Amino acid sequence: MAHCTSMQYEPVAEIGGGAYGTVYKARDTESGKFVALKNVRVPTDQDGLPVSTVREVALLKRLDQFDHPNVVRLMDVCATKRSDQETKVTLVFEHVDQDLKTYLDKAPAAGLSPDRVKDLMRQLLSGITFLHSNRVMHRDLKPENILVTSGGQVKLADFGLARIYSCHMALTPVVVTLWYRPPEVLLQSSYATPVDIWSTGCIFAEMFRRKPLFRGDSEMDQLGKIFEVIGLPPEEEWPTDVTVSRKNFPPLSARPITDFVPDINEQGAQLLLKMLTFDPLKRISALNALEHPYFQEEEALIQTNS
Amino acid sequence: MAKTGLCDSKPLLDLHKKVDERRAPLRTWANACGPIDRRQPAEVEEPKTVPARVEPERRWERRLSTQTSESIIMGFHEDSQTCSAADECVENAVLLYPHGLQGLHSLQALVPSLLRHAVEVALEKLDLIWDRGYAWDLFLDMMRTQTRNAFSNADLPRNFTDATRAVLVDWIIQVHELVHFQEETLYLAVHLLNRSLRQLKVTTANLQLLGMVCLFLAAKKEETLLPEVSGLCSLMDNAYTRNQLLRLERKVLCALKFDLSYCPSLHFLLLFASVARASAGMVWMARYLLELSLLEGQCAVFPPVQLAGAALCLARQVLQEPPTAEGEAAWCLASSIHVGSETSLLKIMHILARTAAKAHTRETCATFIKFSSPETMHVSRHPGLKNAAGLLGICS
Repeated sequence: MAHCTSMQYEPVAEIGGGAYGTVYKARDTESGKFVALKNVRVPTDQDGLPVSTVREVALLKRLDQFDHPNVVRLMDVCATKRSDQETKVTLVFEHVDQDLKTYLDKAPAAGLSPDRVKDLMRQLLSGITFLHSNRVMHRDLKPENILVTSGGQVKLADFGLARIYSCHMALTPVVVTLWYRPPEVLLQSSYATPVDIWSTGCIFAEMFRRKPLFRGDSEMDQLGKIFEVIGLPPEEEWPTDVTVSRKNFPPLSARPITDFVPDINEQGAQLLLKMLTFDPLKRISALNALEHPYFQEEEALIQTNS
Repeated sequence: MAKTGLCDSKPLLDLHKKVDERRAPLRTWANACGPIDRRQPAEVEEPKTVPARVEPERRWERRLSTQTSESIIMGFHEDSQTCSAADECVENAVLLYPHGLQGLHSLQALVPSLLRHAVEVALEKLDLIWDRGYAWDLFLDMMRTQTRNAFSNADLPRNFTDATRAVLVDWIIQVHELVHFQEETLYLAVHLLNRSLRQLKVTTANLQLLGMVCLFLAAKKEETLLPEVSGLCSLMDNAYTRNQLLRLERKVLCALKFDLSYCPSLHFLLLFASVARASAGMVWMARYLLELSLLEGQCAVFPPVQLAGAALCLARQVLQEPPTAEGEAAWCLASSIHVGSETSLLKIMHILARTAAKAHTRETCATFIKFSSPETMHVSRHPGLKNAAGLLGICS
């Protein structure tokens, strides 16, 4: 039964907040388990809940039925009226204590083992493949919204919802990290599912480095940092529908990726470069990334070990 | 025992069993196992299916031209014999591994390309897919989600009777026609109503409002153009305020947990009709019978796919169109999709036949009137419907 009342969920701590609403860690008094309560404020007009919200949440609910191991569970949803202009949509997700950021921070000094990185990457890409095959883009992948359970299971969070509050976000001065944004988004060109692959590439590098790969403080600075690594793309790859000119950037050539990610093996470096490809059309897809030899290597190893 | 057609051949795709055996859907499973597994059959399959996919096309062409040339008829006969032999092998192989992951793998690789192709073409024709590459996955998803869309019993809350429900659905059908919504919206609205009635406490006085809210929510999910809430209120003689409607909208969304995804029986009907190459008259007749099923509370216990199969079978029996070789072959192909047990299909056909026989005498006759128009080929006035129940009775 649906009753997202304060009776059933007892807030324990505030996890995060933003222009779109707040996130609480709460205890489900019925099951005793912890949940993540997300309150999204939706502007409502005289025709009730916006069509976009109704469809978005219905889509999240539908995805949830597939029970994908690498996607966070949506346990409950409800809508409560706040005022004539606003409705609060509460989404109740399973709570996972740790995100990838803390997981990386807590890793031993020597860093994560190559096998661990590979396992995390495989799970991450499985989750993304699932979303993409259901025509859902995440759009805001970063270590903070990739959850890692105590058993080492990766679970994607915050997908789809990004779309609910994206229109809100443009209007409010929310600081959103630029570090995982692909060039096409930074250049304000059109974008599609390859955005998530770029972010995944950045996260892949970060698993080895344990610090972000590109740390820009503005859109232009972020682009500059990207070109320092992958080189300035050729004129013909520069999107035509953008205002930023290619001439604003120094003509840098690509540097070996191992200069920035020294611990990565050869196959891993190859895959990483395919993910950090400037042209979104040439960037590898999640499904193809999973088939990359990088992931097959380990299987061979396991087979010889067993 | 009467032959219902859609289940009398050996089941090729017993997806219902699979739902019980293994609830995780294909995508989940494929992801969990890693895509290497998932891709392997595709690669093995590639050389086999590519020519196979072209072949049915040629076969159809050949069949179409059978009337003109004797030599091609011979050719066709030979062809169909080898084809049926091959299909039999496939069937046996599938039956050997009907369950489990292994089974699914071989199922995917071995599904007769003819049926697969027909389903893909049908889904494309119905504009349900953007890319034919996803068609089969979509079809498997449609079949798998079926059991979720049936109710365990037909019981309504104590203060409602089937008659009350029928009056409400009849009114929804009228409003739906008035505001020119798509057919899918009507099916979703009635599904949402069925669920809401079981989840929410609504007084008799608010029943009409609940019906409208379900239609409004279905429209928010399906339609591109929405009527204004004030307009909807005036359709209810302003018996309720806008705020009442919006409050109930939130209540229903919460009760249903925003779960609005539903594969309507209409989609299955159109899919089967397309595979079976049903005539326009048969499709209208089946659509009429299927819409009548919305009025019957007892139909809520059957999954949409069975309602669709039963409606098409009954339409075929009522119309008794003269058989053609092409039509029979296509019907056989459609029948190889296993939609449910023969008993449940017959049960549904009996309900529909009884309902159709007295549809014109009832108070709830919006559907009867809707399908008596020239655009729908006057199907609801077809004389065969009067003794449709008898037709089934004689057969059984």
